[in-house]
Amino acid sequence: MTFRQFAFNNVIWNKRLYAAYFLTSLFTVMVFFTFSIFASHPQLTGNNMDSYVSFGMNVAAGIIYVFSFFFVLYSMSSFLQSRKKEFGLLMMQGMSMKQIRSMVFLENMFIGLLATIGGIGLGLIFSKGILLIAENVLIIDDELPFYFPTQPILLTFGCFMVLFFLISLFVSYVLRSRKLIDLIKGDKKSKGEPKANLFLTILAVLLLGTGYAVALTVDGLKVVVAMVPVILVVIIGTYLLFTQLSVFIIRRLKKNENVFWYKTNMILLSDLSFRMKDNARSFFLVAIISTVAFSAIGSLYGFQSFLTAGIKQAHQTTISYQDYDTGNEEENVSYIDETLQEANIDMDKDQITLHYYEVSDESRVFITKESDYNRIADLSDNETLQIEDGSPVLVSPEMILLSSSGDNSGTDEVDILKDAVLELDENNTLEPAQLVLSNVLPSITKYYVVSDHDFESLPESAAEENYYAWQEAEDNEIPLQIAEKLDEKLSTEGISIGQYEEYVVNKAYGPILFVGLFIGIVFFVSAGSFLYFRLYSDLDEDKKKFQAITKMGLTDKELKKVLNRQTALLFFAPIAVALVHGAIALTSLSHMFFYSLVKESAMVLGLFLIIQIVYFCIVRFYYIRQVKQALR
Amino acid sequence: MLKVRQVSKVYEGKVSYRALSDINLIVEDNEFVGIMGPSGSGKTTLLNMIATIDEPTTGEILINGKDPHRLKKEKLAQFRRRELGFVFQDFNLLHTLTVEENMVLPLTLDGKKVSEMKEKAKNIAAKLGITEIMNKRTYEISGGQAQRAAVARAMIHTPKLLLADEPTGNLDSKSSKDVMEMLESINEKEKTTMLLVTHDPQAASYCNRVVFIRDGKFYSEIHRGDNRQAFFQKIIDTLSLMGGDSNDFSSVRV
Repeated sequence: MTFRQFAFNNVIWNKRLYAAYFLTSLFTVMVFFTFSIFASHPQLTGNNMDSYVSFGMNVAAGIIYVFSFFFVLYSMSSFLQSRKKEFGLLMMQGMSMKQIRSMVFLENMFIGLLATIGGIGLGLIFSKGILLIAENVLIIDDELPFYFPTQPILLTFGCFMVLFFLISLFVSYVLRSRKLIDLIKGDKKSKGEPKANLFLTILAVLLLGTGYAVALTVDGLKVVVAMVPVILVVIIGTYLLFTQLSVFIIRRLKKNENVFWYKTNMILLSDLSFRMKDNARSFFLVAIISTVAFSAIGSLYGFQSFLTAGIKQAHQTTISYQDYDTGNEEENVSYIDETLQEANIDMDKDQITLHYYEVSDESRVFITKESDYNRIADLSDNETLQIEDGSPVLVSPEMILLSSSGDNSGTDEVDILKDAVLELDENNTLEPAQLVLSNVLPSITKYYVVSDHDFESLPESAAEENYYAWQEAEDNEIPLQIAEKLDEKLSTEGISIGQYEEYVVNKAYGPILFVGLFIGIVFFVSAGSFLYFRLYSDLDEDKKKFQAITKMGLTDKELKKVLNRQTALLFFAPIAVALVHGAIALTSLSHMFFYSLVKESAMVLGLFLIIQIVYFCIVRFYYIRQVKQALR
Repeated sequence: MLKVRQVSKVYEGKVSYRALSDINLIVEDNEFVGIMGPSGSGKTTLLNMIATIDEPTTGEILINGKDPHRLKKEKLAQFRRRELGFVFQDFNLLHTLTVEENMVLPLTLDGKKVSEMKEKAKNIAAKLGITEIMNKRTYEISGGQAQRAAVARAMIHTPKLLLADEPTGNLDSKSSKDVMEMLESINEKEKTTMLLVTHDPQAASYCNRVVFIRDGKFYSEIHRGDNRQAFFQKIIDTLSLMGGDSNDFSSVRV
């Protein structure tokens, strides 16, 4: 057996030991590869895509690569930690440190090669699925056919061979000279119970408290200013939370004998404080990475819903037409009618006239009569108005933005109404009696609705404009080709189709959303793997511990209870922190846009929580099974 | 107290292996019985079956007239922690707990009151002379102290039967002597029935009776008279007859 064969056999005969590390590497390669298949798809790299999108894709690929590097490095070093004893044994047999390094180097290159090839293979299998998802998310007109990705294969292979080579070099550094006795006794030596520093504990609470408080109170552009300092404070606070505050709380619990000496609490808590030293760093990493994922996906999704909500609110009817002084008004309207008729679409149509009046400061307002307003309101399923003679209504467009900088808040309705008194001429003064928020008519300024009788007595208007509205009879959407056809011809003349505008926005926004989702999910999944590694590095110790306790008499139920809680703490402590961080970050973001993101945040965070719960259930099942097997 | 009737144990596998065959053993109340035999003779297997950790393939084991192996799993665990006490070669103390916490661990599982547990721990620690190490961690105490702490843990719920698997295996001769004298005095004062598996003739000589097994079969048994020294000699003789190594013969053989 040559030395090289020895290194290979080490890997091949110890599959179980190397499996976790191998799978992580495999997964990382697969993620990078699928992403690059997508990023360098011929449909996307040609002239079909904006250059900024492909630039964004490359940046995203870079981020994934850098992240993979640290991720593989982390899993490699935690993998080596668990092999300390083996190295000690080899050194006792007379292996030199240099030989161990070259052995690990060879092993690592071997695993790296397998993982790269395997990852590319798996990526190829999944790539059609990814392309299908991409097709839908991106709203790409032509479909993305499967292609044989020569360039991504070469790119991935090259990048990851370099990555594994660099990491293999790093590994030699991780294994710098240690005393033989430390290696052999590596896992037996007690690390001692970590102690919490009271000052740092209080500091953790203070930092998190101020960070949260600032994040929740600022709004508008101040959010941008406060962002960097708040993020720094919260990151430090989170680190201290896990290294100090958690230790502090556990020690407090342990000191309270009524808690600590109650049933299985002793078994659960005793190890927790010892492991907190190792756990803290992983928890911190996981919490921060998950927060980044939550915030990124949450804000991308929130921003999209912000854009589409605006469009929806501005377009109460399926199609509207308000002529831009083209002189082709009648022609255009009949073109719309004809087109709809040709496509056999059942539409309700209505038309009203808006009367414009000059106001003192050279701006115009329009006034419309009750019956006109109500006809359009009926058409678009909005509330109609009942207006008494002599008490006109002031209609203010409803803002999707949260109040604050919006123009209809901060002041009372009474004040607004007083401000809105309109003097048309000597005899006619409009004194609105009621303020109504509505988007029935397209306007970004306030307008007046008067009763039909009052309308008769109004002076001659400065200008008149017709407003046409079409509403699909059953509130369905109209076919995309029709909308596109109409928009193409008449968008500069005054047509506006909400559904089509939404489509255009989504199409432009798709790639950003997709890339964001992809990276977010990669971060989230790797955060899960960190926790998995953390859990399994304690497996041997747990096996020994439970072997000892079961002999004295520990029921299956109690064993499950302890393991259940232990795993749950591991999985949900960092995620809970990340969820709170994410919720605060998204709230802060919504303050910046003055747009409520509650629904979107709840959806994104809830979804991640569900994924985490599923992940937890799977991991817990296998962990409990493994511990139980050791007790047989 | 304990009846082992026609017990056999076969380990199934690619090659099935008969670890014990037709073992009979009766232990009276308040007796201190040692089980000896060469490595692989099946003595730990026997102890594990009595400890209800393992199940016999055939035959039955009765503790106080009841067969614990018929109990359901949950009940069995409770039976172990209420009726039996265990002492192991490697102490099996949890290094994340203090000595006192290790001692009360079996009681906490039963949800006993804290004051009651404190009281019991204090009493037993005083009896076993480990009061001063109660708040130490397990890596801060010597092997002898650790084994005494383990005995304290095994005794804290005053079990009727104490099972010890090579309790002196990891101890120096002085500590071995201390631990064995302690077990002997517990046997006398607390009237606890004890069963000891050991390699060490010195440790075995503290028993009332020693049972020898070889290759999974009963070999012989000897009783202790008044003189522990003479009993020790008899044990050595039996061991050498059984075919131990030549250096098992004592140089002072009469």
